Amino acid sequence: MPSWFGRTRSAEPAPSRSKLRVGIPRVLNVWSTHQFWVGLFGALGVDPRNLVFSADTSEEQGRQFGKGRGTVDCCYPVKCATGHYGELIFGQREKLDVLFSPMIYTLPSFLSGHVARTLTCPRVMAAPENIKAGFLKEREVFADQGIHYATPFVSLDEPKLVPKQLFEGLREAVPGLTMEETARAVDAAYRALRDFNDRLRKKSREVLEWCAREERACLLVLARPYHMDPGIGHEIEVDLQAYGYPILWAQYFPIDDDLMQWAFGPDLAAGAIRSPFDIRDVWPSSYSSNTNEILWGAKVAARVPWIACVVRMSSYECGMDQPTYTPVQQIVERSGTLFFSFQDLDSTKPAGSVKIRVETITHYLERYAADIVARKKATMPPGCPLLSAGASAAPSETSPRSDCAGKAGARTTPERAR
Amino acid sequence: MATVIAEPYRAYTPRPFTRAERDSVTILFGGLHWRAERILQAVLEQSGYRARVLPVATKEDLLAGREVADIGQCCPTSFTTGNLVNFLRGESKRIGAEEVSKRYVYLTAGSCGACRFGQYHQSYELALRNSGLDAFRMFLMAQDNLDQKAVMGDGLDFNLPITLGCLWAIFCTDLVQDLEYQVRPYEAVPGSTDAVVKESVEHLYEVFHRRPARGPWTSLAWHLATPYFTKALREVHRRFAAIEVDRLRPKPIVKITGEFYLQTVEGAPNYNIHRWLEAEGAEVYPAAVSVWMDYLLRLGLQRFEDYSGIERSARIKLGAGRVVQKLYRGLVARLRHALGDLPHEMPQQLELRRLAAPYFHSRLDGGEGDMLVGKALWAHLGKKAHMICELSPYSCMPNTMSIGAMAGVIGKYPDLLYAPLEIKGDAEVHALSRCQMILTEAKKRAQREFEETLERTRLTVDEVRAYVDAHPVMKRATYRVPHSGAVAGTGANMVMHVARAMGRAT
Repeated sequence: MPSWFGRTRSAEPAPSRSKLRVGIPRVLNVWSTHQFWVGLFGALGVDPRNLVFSADTSEEQGRQFGKGRGTVDCCYPVKCATGHYGELIFGQREKLDVLFSPMIYTLPSFLSGHVARTLTCPRVMAAPENIKAGFLKEREVFADQGIHYATPFVSLDEPKLVPKQLFEGLREAVPGLTMEETARAVDAAYRALRDFNDRLRKKSREVLEWCAREERACLLVLARPYHMDPGIGHEIEVDLQAYGYPILWAQYFPIDDDLMQWAFGPDLAAGAIRSPFDIRDVWPSSYSSNTNEILWGAKVAARVPWIACVVRMSSYECGMDQPTYTPVQQIVERSGTLFFSFQDLDSTKPAGSVKIRVETITHYLERYAADIVARKKATMPPGCPLLSAGASAAPSETSPRSDCAGKAGARTTPERAR
Repeated sequence: MATVIAEPYRAYTPRPFTRAERDSVTILFGGLHWRAERILQAVLEQSGYRARVLPVATKEDLLAGREVADIGQCCPTSFTTGNLVNFLRGESKRIGAEEVSKRYVYLTAGSCGACRFGQYHQSYELALRNSGLDAFRMFLMAQDNLDQKAVMGDGLDFNLPITLGCLWAIFCTDLVQDLEYQVRPYEAVPGSTDAVVKESVEHLYEVFHRRPARGPWTSLAWHLATPYFTKALREVHRRFAAIEVDRLRPKPIVKITGEFYLQTVEGAPNYNIHRWLEAEGAEVYPAAVSVWMDYLLRLGLQRFEDYSGIERSARIKLGAGRVVQKLYRGLVARLRHALGDLPHEMPQQLELRRLAAPYFHSRLDGGEGDMLVGKALWAHLGKKAHMICELSPYSCMPNTMSIGAMAGVIGKYPDLLYAPLEIKGDAEVHALSRCQMILTEAKKRAQREFEETLERTRLTVDEVRAYVDAHPVMKRATYRVPHSGAVAGTGANMVMHVARAMGRAT
């Protein structure tokens, strides 16, 4: 069959909105903005069943779908995106129409307005261009597969700009898209993201209130959002939770005004900061969003008594984390809070060393947590809102079970082992 | 295991540098090439400051930098922190740490994203603490905010006249550096170029030292209108004219790109790559600081482009910004003209953006962003160079992204000779041998191009040389050989030029 009579797959007419299949690599800052994208495509009429996220990161995924397409040696969270792209292109039973991988420039951080800027890491923001090159260096893989590659540059912390950016980035991928419709969809997307974040913060508050009421210690994870990916963070916090210690992530820490005023009241009164979300006292160059949140999380951990331990996770070659190692550790440890760091995380889970470290952490918690909580409480002002009458009395379904939570001083057994 | 409550951690806040201290405190700075540093010293001294350039960073500085700061920092920061710390340690031995903290302050560039460069105050601070120099004062000057009295104190007043002086210093030294690298590979008497450059930079030092003091706005008007600097550069041109060159030596032109510090410094931090390339038979096309500043201007204007149609004033700001950018380029062009239009012309930023667009988004900032990709394509497609040598620091985040995107460019343009070198500071043999492989191909290409040009013009080297001998002006370093656009090499362009002069078809 002479090929000039055939149509290339990329020339096929785009399917209607409801049938449009959109693949999104589950990587990098998609971990903290996924609800925005779900909300956006939902508002644009894409059937939620046709919105396909790639699987959690795994070495197998990289071997099967990403091999030979890497373009540069850098941190694993960026490198592994090649496997995610490959899975969405080659690993779907039903072909995708669009591979959507946004270049997120700024993040809609809760610290926005209190810090210099909310930029993403330069590697993270540019990753879609970099990963794309690996799929173009030998042949035009996207066109060959009939997939439209949409990679809008988007400044999520500048809502006025976002409709324009997404309209320009999506108009060829989404049939019949208009600017007005994009603007409406962006509003819906921000609402979806806000609702999701609020829900998680509410749950975190319930956990904290429970800890305060029951005199229990909890742990705070300081990491980048994509360390929630089991293939990146290696579920270290899950191993710790198995010992009964509630785990909180700084990204979803409650930011209610009563709690913030109580936690940061002395610093505000001393004029060290201008608002509870101001981090100039510890980190003046506050332009990188996830870095800012980690620094802020360290400050919170230093002030909230029931956070007896901070677990820091960082990937191998993470340049943005590197200058923060000492300040974060200092902020936490000077408050008397335990600090453990898992640095240089890479593709392979160092299961043996993680197990030993987890046992070490729990050992220290058993031995010191009660003392830490008591001493930290003594330094804080009275009237903690976590202990007030308004604090929820009964643990919800998401609160830790009282029979398995790590009460300081009592030996706990990993839940998994039961 | 710390479970004792201590004073809360606070970020480093240097004691302000006051106006009263100006006469007794020396400002330390560095991180550029020696020509620019020397003239910037003149600008600071002329403005009433004591200034001292830090010595060029060495491998010992790299090791010290790694030792005293957090693990994993990028290679330039290891060099610069180690450089500062070693200098201060040496001075401490001489006059004591307390006196060092009184007598010196360190001034360096800061930034507000996207890469960690702007956060390296923490690394410097840690390095100083670990060296027992906690009281030493270090100031990071944000590139987007020159008025920082609130942070630095009134001792460091970076007013408009100083800023303009610094700008003109960069313009002039960029042009001298560019001319120097065009001349030295072809000099008939080895060492003659270096001697002239040294004299010229000292001449410029005197010129900048004598720069008249004026108020902010009169200073601006004076800098824009004065022939003071063009006259100084004409003198530099006159000195270069004394150098005899033989341009009929086919040499590959190697365009230097990469991370700002590594492409700018000349010394151990980049394995002295400029001189090494020359010694290996190449003509180096250096990276100008003024091109980098032009890129920063473009980045700033892109924000107004994005907000056009969203914010009412954005278009006006964009228009005004474009005028400023034109003025900027015009000023550089005027100074370049004083050097006989010999230094390379600045590439158009919008052209670089257009070339890079299919491979790297123009709004992705940090490092050189899309300019790195654009410059490689611009040099290759416009026959400006035979080879691109990209200096990428170990662990540099934005630079690795641009290099990754270059994989797509190489896929499309497989004949583009591209040598991305990861610079670690202590892996010289590895980096240089990698560069050598591409350079060998570039040499062959330059030789082939030279021979093909001779063939096409039906000339021999002897005939061209005889013509040049008969026209001694063509042997001067300041003789302008036009770039034909068809060939890249200086030798090939010389043949084309002579052929045209002889009435031969080219």
